[in-house]
Amino acid sequence: MLSIKKLKVSIENNLILKGLNLEIKNGEVHAIMGPNGSGKSTLASVIAGNDNYKIESGSISFFGKNINNFSPDERAMMGIFLAFQYPVEIPGVSTINFIKTALNRIREFNKKKPLDAVGFLNTMKKKMNLVKIDRDLLSRSINEGFSGGEKKRNEIFQMAMLEPKLSILDETDSGLDIDALKIVSNGVNKLRTKDNSTIVVTHYQRLLDYIIPDYVHVLIDGKIVKSGNKDLALELENKGYDWL
Amino acid sequence: MFKSDSLTLDSKKIKDFINKESNPFLKKSRNNFLKKLGEKKFNIKEEYKYTPLKQSLEKKFSLEFKIDKNIPSNIEKKILPYIVNDNSVYQIITLDGKIIKKFSNIPSKISFKNFEELDKKEKKILHQYFGENDDSDSDVFSALNGVLWSKGLFIYIKKNQIVDNPIIINNFYTSERNIFSSQLRNFIFMEKNSKLSICELDCALASNNFNSNVTEIILEERSELDYFKIQNDKNNSTSFNSTNIKQKRNSISNTFTFSFSGDMIRNNLNISLIDESCYCNMYGIYALNDDSHVDNHTSVDHIQKNSISNEHYKGIMNGNSNGVFNGKIFVRKEAQKTNAFQSNNNIILSDNAKINTKPQLEIWADDVKCSHGCTTGQLDENAIFYLQSRGINKDKAVSILINAFFDEIIQKINQNIIKDKVHKILSSKIESYLNEH
Ligand SMILES: Nc1ncnc2c1ncn2[C@@H]1O[C@H](COP(=O)(O)OP(=O)(O)OP(=O)(O)O)[C@@H](O)[C@H]1O
Ligand SMILES: [Mg+2]
Repeated sequence: MLSIKKLKVSIENNLILKGLNLEIKNGEVHAIMGPNGSGKSTLASVIAGNDNYKIESGSISFFGKNINNFSPDERAMMGIFLAFQYPVEIPGVSTINFIKTALNRIREFNKKKPLDAVGFLNTMKKKMNLVKIDRDLLSRSINEGFSGGEKKRNEIFQMAMLEPKLSILDETDSGLDIDALKIVSNGVNKLRTKDNSTIVVTHYQRLLDYIIPDYVHVLIDGKIVKSGNKDLALELENKGYDWL
Repeated sequence: MFKSDSLTLDSKKIKDFINKESNPFLKKSRNNFLKKLGEKKFNIKEEYKYTPLKQSLEKKFSLEFKIDKNIPSNIEKKILPYIVNDNSVYQIITLDGKIIKKFSNIPSKISFKNFEELDKKEKKILHQYFGENDDSDSDVFSALNGVLWSKGLFIYIKKNQIVDNPIIINNFYTSERNIFSSQLRNFIFMEKNSKLSICELDCALASNNFNSNVTEIILEERSELDYFKIQNDKNNSTSFNSTNIKQKRNSISNTFTFSFSGDMIRNNLNISLIDESCYCNMYGIYALNDDSHVDNHTSVDHIQKNSISNEHYKGIMNGNSNGVFNGKIFVRKEAQKTNAFQSNNNIILSDNAKINTKPQLEIWADDVKCSHGCTTGQLDENAIFYLQSRGINKDKAVSILINAFFDEIIQKINQNIIKDKVHKILSSKIESYLNEH
């Protein structure tokens, strides 16, 4: 599904990703761990198409198509979804209208009819239930004044609504209490199919007890220095990153 | 014509013009204004600091005093598209200030006329109040208007009269490259417990029109006025406006100033809360592109206690456009328990667009709540990326953000027909922004 080859990425002339390789197949869950500032969010943003970052060399392919030059919205329509580490507050734009616009764009791209008000409401109810998000929250402006945990839950709710093929969860677990963590993980697991894949960026092994990864990668200084199975996460939890 | 602090005029021609005034009261009034012009007390340097008069006026207009009388041909055809066939509004069409009756549908129970049509009672009101409530002591264009105005609207809302529909006034101007011709003066007098919504739209039928519009408004006890101005002139016009509101006890004014297009626009809005417990809301939107220059100078004067003023202006500038916002708040010594709020937010879309914004607070009372703030920035790149990352393309994202920026002001419009109009103009403005990028 996703194939990243020798990716070098810079921002404002600082090289952040320094030749990164990553292969993700349909249905897989990959965890990415690594110290602060190692480039995890950079990787997530670049896959989603943030053009503040410059791709110096290398390639990102999605279902065999090189998407280096694709805009973020084109990628979203193809099925890439980023749950932000720091979701943006957008005053004056209602969350529900925003999600409706987004969903219908993606449906249109997939040659599906746009959902009417009733259809949208029904889908919304189902997905709200899945991530236990409050209706009141959704009638407010996007993330405006949301608590840290509410923002994260809103990200997962959007993921549930948009049904992406590849979801990138950038520290979605940070700032969630234990109950919320279970609800969010449960949501993610229920949305899993044999076709869609997930990248979870996290600092905590704990999340991986709920969302069980097929692979764990360690990202240090812009490169993946080690990959393994879920036991690697436990090992990191015990030993830190120094031994690598 | 414009020295740094004064205005030189061909006094012989002006005097001849004034002598043609047949109404003795108005003749005296015109002479009063002429005297103010002669005294040259205007601080043009300060009051027009960011609106360079000399260059732009001298470049575009003939400064020779003459009054145009030639009305362009097939005028009706040009006006027809502006007629709204909607019986939930009263419409007035004016041509250089003259009410065109066949296009206007205002019921006779509302006293709404040109000055020369007033009956005895109306004349009495006019003579009692006219010419005393504008900013001609400090603004040279208001003083000039006081001398030269050719037509005026007289609006008198009687005690307890509630005007059920909004009144939409389309002002058409016909003069070209002439500073002296399109000069209008309006007078609104609202008696106790009356209510009125009024919306003015200016439109030049000739290119390079100069127009000046001074309005005096008096709100008696417990009256309520909504006053909208929509400036969306595509004909490169230059426009000087001054709206002056005097409020008595428990009266409410809601003013909305929307500026979307025009070569150079200056809007003075002066509100004087002369009694206790008055309330005024001053809202403004300016969305500019190309070489438009829009200057909003507002002032609110709290003279007695317990009044509230609330001001919020928001602007977006693109291209080479220029915005100016200057907001004065005065709180006099007697005006204890005043609440005065002001904010001005700006978004700059291009490298060459500019905004100059300045709050000016003068507070002599000690028990007041007063706040002001202004911001200038760009569209939030992170917000654009966030929206895009959900499948919304960049243009749509930008348009969502601009709409959101103005939304809190638009939501304050309490007349749906006007809200729709503003929405429509704003949408096409946003489209033009996107095409320019
Ligand atoms: N605009 C910028 N200019 C210069 N350096 C930047 C810029 N933005 C990010 N960086 C740097 O890029 C590096 C990678 O940042 P990134 O956010 O990808 O790290 P991360 O692995 O997600 O860290 P964390 O675990 O703290 O979330 C950091 O050193 C950061 O300071
Ligand atoms: Mg990060």
